[in-house]
Formats: sequence, C-alpha cells, structure tokens
Amino acid sequence: MNRRAVVSRCVGMGRAFCVLLVAVAVAMPAVRAEEDFGDFSSATLTAKAWGAVGAGKLDTALVFTGKCRELYMEKALEQQASLDGFASDEEAPMLWALNDVGTCLFIEGQVYEQQKDSKKALAAYEQLASKLGYAQCWDPKGWFWKPAEAANKKLKELEFDAKLE
Amino acid sequence: MRSLSEAFTAAVVLLIAGVGAAAEAPSPGAIPVRIEGSPAEGFRLLRAGRPFRIQGVGGHQHLDVLVACGGNTIRTWDVDTLLRETDGVRLIDRAASLGLAVTVGIWLGHERHGFDYGDPQQLQQQRQAVTRAVEALRDHPAVLSWGLGNEMEGPTGSGDSEQIWQEINRLAGLIKSRDRAHPVMTVVANINPAKVAAIQQHAPLVDILGVNAYAGATGVGQQLRQLGWQKPYCITEYGLPGPWETEQTAWHAPVEPTSRQKAGMYNAATREILADPACLGGYAFLWGQKQEATASWFGMFLPTGEKTITVDAVTDAWTDRWPDDRAPVLRDVEMPLAGKRLAAGTTLRVVARSTDPEGEPLSYAWEVRRESSDRKTGGDAEQSPEVVPGCIVSADDRGVATVRLPREPGSYRLFVTVRDGHGSGNIDNWPFQVGSGSR
Repeated sequence: MNRRAVVSRCVGMGRAFCVLLVAVAVAMPAVRAEEDFGDFSSATLTAKAWGAVGAGKLDTALVFTGKCRELYMEKALEQQASLDGFASDEEAPMLWALNDVGTCLFIEGQVYEQQKDSKKALAAYEQLASKLGYAQCWDPKGWFWKPAEAANKKLKELEFDAKLE
Repeated sequence: MRSLSEAFTAAVVLLIAGVGAAAEAPSPGAIPVRIEGSPAEGFRLLRAGRPFRIQGVGGHQHLDVLVACGGNTIRTWDVDTLLRETDGVRLIDRAASLGLAVTVGIWLGHERHGFDYGDPQQLQQQRQAVTRAVEALRDHPAVLSWGLGNEMEGPTGSGDSEQIWQEINRLAGLIKSRDRAHPVMTVVANINPAKVAAIQQHAPLVDILGVNAYAGATGVGQQLRQLGWQKPYCITEYGLPGPWETEQTAWHAPVEPTSRQKAGMYNAATREILADPACLGGYAFLWGQKQEATASWFGMFLPTGEKTITVDAVTDAWTDRWPDDRAPVLRDVEMPLAGKRLAAGTTLRVVARSTDPEGEPLSYAWEVRRESSDRKTGGDAEQSPEVVPGCIVSADDRGVATVRLPREPGSYRLFVTVRDGHGSGNIDNWPFQVGSGSR
C-alpha cells in the first residue's frame, strides 16, 4: 500500500483527516481489491474503498462503495432517521452503517471528480448531504469528521464551477 | 473548579496589566468594536454599534480592487506595514480613506526563529513593542481588532506550550489595559484538542481565536464546537489546500490545483465561513503574491499585478455578483508532461486554453522553472527559482505551445500565464521531471 498515494488523495479534506486515511491504508493488506470484499462488513468495504482510491484504482473503489451501499444503505437510512442531530462521541461509533455508507458516498464523489464526471460527483455529494447528514467518521486528531459537511463544500465548489461555463 | 480557576487567573492578569479603573476609555477617533452573542446563538461583531461581518483578506496591496470586489477588511502580520508611507500616505490611513477596516497584526516571536518564551529580557522587549503598537494605533478609526501574533505556537507540533499561552494572555491583558475599544484576537496554525485546551486554560483574555486553515478551513467551526470552544472565531488565512497537504508527484513535488479549481475552493470556503454563526468572518489568503512552493500557489494576483479568477470567486461569494472585468477561465488542458518523468530534450505539444468572459483577446506566456529547492515552513520567505532558458520552442495566442524539456536532469514546472490586457489574468503550472531516459 502506498501511504503517500493515500495522503495525496486527501485534497480538500483536511490534514487531520489524511492522518486517518494513512492509518487505514497502513492497516490494509495488499489485495486484489475488485474481487475481495473481505468479511463484507461496512468498515472493511469502506477501508478497501479508501485503499483503492489511494492506489489510484478508481473503478475498484467504486466497486467497494457500491457494495457498501447495496448492503447497508437501508440500515444507514434507518440510523439517520433515528437522529435529530449529530450523535454524541460515545454514541457515534454505534451508527456504523450511517457512518460508513456516508463515507462511501463521499469517496464516490471524490472518485467521480477525479474521473471528470461532475454530474455523478454532484449526485453522490447531494445524496450524502440530503440523506445521510449525520454521518461521522472518527479522526485520530481528536474529533469526528463529518462527511456531509465536506460534501456540502464540494457541492459549492462544483456549483461555482458550473457558473463558469 | 476549572472555570473558577480561569476566572481567578483572568482577574490576576487584568490587575497586573492594569485593566480596570485605570484602563483608558476609547478615544474620539477610535470606532468602538464589541462582540455580542453566545455559543448557542452565534456571535457577531458590532462596529460603531452596527453588525460587521468580516469579508477580509490577508495582505495590503490592491486595496481599491478589494473595495470594488466587496471586501471590507484587511489583515496585516505586523504594525510596521501599516505605518509605512506610500506617496506620503500611511497604509492605515489609505485603508481608512477607502472605508476598509484593519485587523492590526502584532508580530510576536517564534521559537523556530530563536525567540525564547522563557527569557525575561526578550519577553520584556516584546511587551514594550506590543505596548508601542497599541499606543500608536488604538485611536485610529480603521482599527477593527488586534491580531496578537501569527502562528507563534509553531506551524507544526501540538502548540500547547503553557509558557507561550500564558504570555499571550499577559499581552492580551496589556492591550486591554490600553485599549478597551477593540477586541483581541490571537492567530494559530490550525487547531488540535491540546492547543485549544491550552488556549482556553492559559489565555482567557483572548476574545477571538483566529485560525489559519487551508484544506480544513470549513471544518474548523465544527471542530471548535466539539472541543468546547466558547468564544467566536475567525478563519484568518484560507483559500486552497497548502502544498503540505495536497497531492504530490512521485518525486514529492506538490501538485498545485488549477486556477479554475482554486476558484471553486475560494468561493466555497468563503461561503461556508460566512454561513457559520460562530464565525465572525474570514481573510482570504493572499491578497497579493508570494513565492511559497511556487510563485502562484497562494497569490490571488499575478506577480505583475493582475487579479486572478480567485478574486472573482471571493467577489461572487461576498456580493453574489461578478466584478466588472472578469478573469479568463481555464477550459482545455492537454499536458502530457504533467506528473511524468521524461527524457531530457524531449519536445512536446502542450495546451492550456482559456477563454475570457468578456471576449477579450488573451495573451499567453509560457516558461519552465526548476522545482523550488528553497522550501520553508510556516510561510517563511522563499527564493523563487530561475527560469530555464530555451525551453519554449513556440507558442500561439490560443493556449498551444511546443516545449523542449531541459537538457539537465532534475525536477521542473511548466508555467503558463494568461492575461486579458485589462487587469485580469491567471497562472497555472504542472510539475515534471527530466531524467536521462524516459519512464
């Protein structure tokens, strides 16, 4: 796994979050990613998706994020519906489906941006922002990273870019 | 107990600094500024009693452009800049004449530059300098706030030195003892839990936390809330991800976002900053130009003074309108050398075509420079690498050029600068490496 490559894909996500990605990448075994879903858990699929992005295997990343959505979107929506705000630090890790599917949607947005497919990137970010707004992802620097907030910023960037056309 | 202890500390420092009955009232010249609000409802500045949202920039040039674009505040890093005269007018007076407010930067020593926060003599000299700065400018109508230091805790590391934050608190008390009309902000390089806790514990007299943050700028508010920060904050430098936090080539050259990508980043960041009720506003960086990794990374203006599309982007975010003359927009890029290692002397056709929103004819200037070997941290001054002669074989006025790669192996960048001839332009670059053989 190329640690630097993982870090390099963190544009726009903040230095702190990059630390998290590096940790994920280092922990990952070398795999034939597009074939191996590991234990099929949302955490594994999300980690493998990040790893694939870091390795520059964008289509493979989409296979992992797609599988995560396929298996866990329903649960994620259920967990989102149970909330009326961000869960506390103690409760947030229990919302595994919401957190991982939300992160996967953000990864999809990043991948589509790199593939110059603004329409699909917008769709991924919009879905994340509108349906899974309370997803959180622990950052070892000491707080929860919020994928929907990052998606909202990405949406603004893409909306502005569209104004330039 | 902690809040009681903090209150006691604050009281002692204020007494030492002489705040209280002896503190001086605002002079007739000063425009009083105060903060109102709460963590729950958000904060706002009141300047002369009226709400004031900081639509600011870091820098001191092109002030007329700033006003035309809807900006209302500049931030400096030191006091001398504000007192320096151009055509017989001090910068701070010029800002006032244009209706701009000023966050007065007061430079504080950095340990990485040799300053010792344990040396009583150095501390005393610094306190005297802070006192002189406040006494020189506290009555000026342009003053919005005091910017006490800039990243003096260090751009890397935990930044939780008790010694530094206790001194910052003492200096904040010193300012308050001489000026009650303007809030005191201190400026840090990003945040982390230990740093925020140290500031809360040791520097309770600071009114506003200024955070220099690039890739993570829009997450700062949420992070501060999670860390229990109870006061307002500003994003004191923001724009695009820095060279230390972005994609790199295989030879560790940071890949600079294109001018068009930068525009989206500045626009989105500005809108997000202005949307956070706990944030008093932000200062886009840099309203000017500097060499930091490249000659174009942070500059919102070209080295020759033209504004770039990043200026248009913040204008749109501040005012929901475009400036009168817009910068060119990068459209098509064919850059076969980008991020590649190629053979010396290879000749390539490259394209970086822009269009001008007003349909003005564009000029293109291409050049190859060595990759910077003078990289510093914390924004310290860097030398710009020289242009490599003889690399541009031909170039037309449609953004197409033929480039011959340098003969000498090494890391380089190809730059293209496009200008509309009416004060706007852009600059983009792509890193490449020359080896003895292609790979």
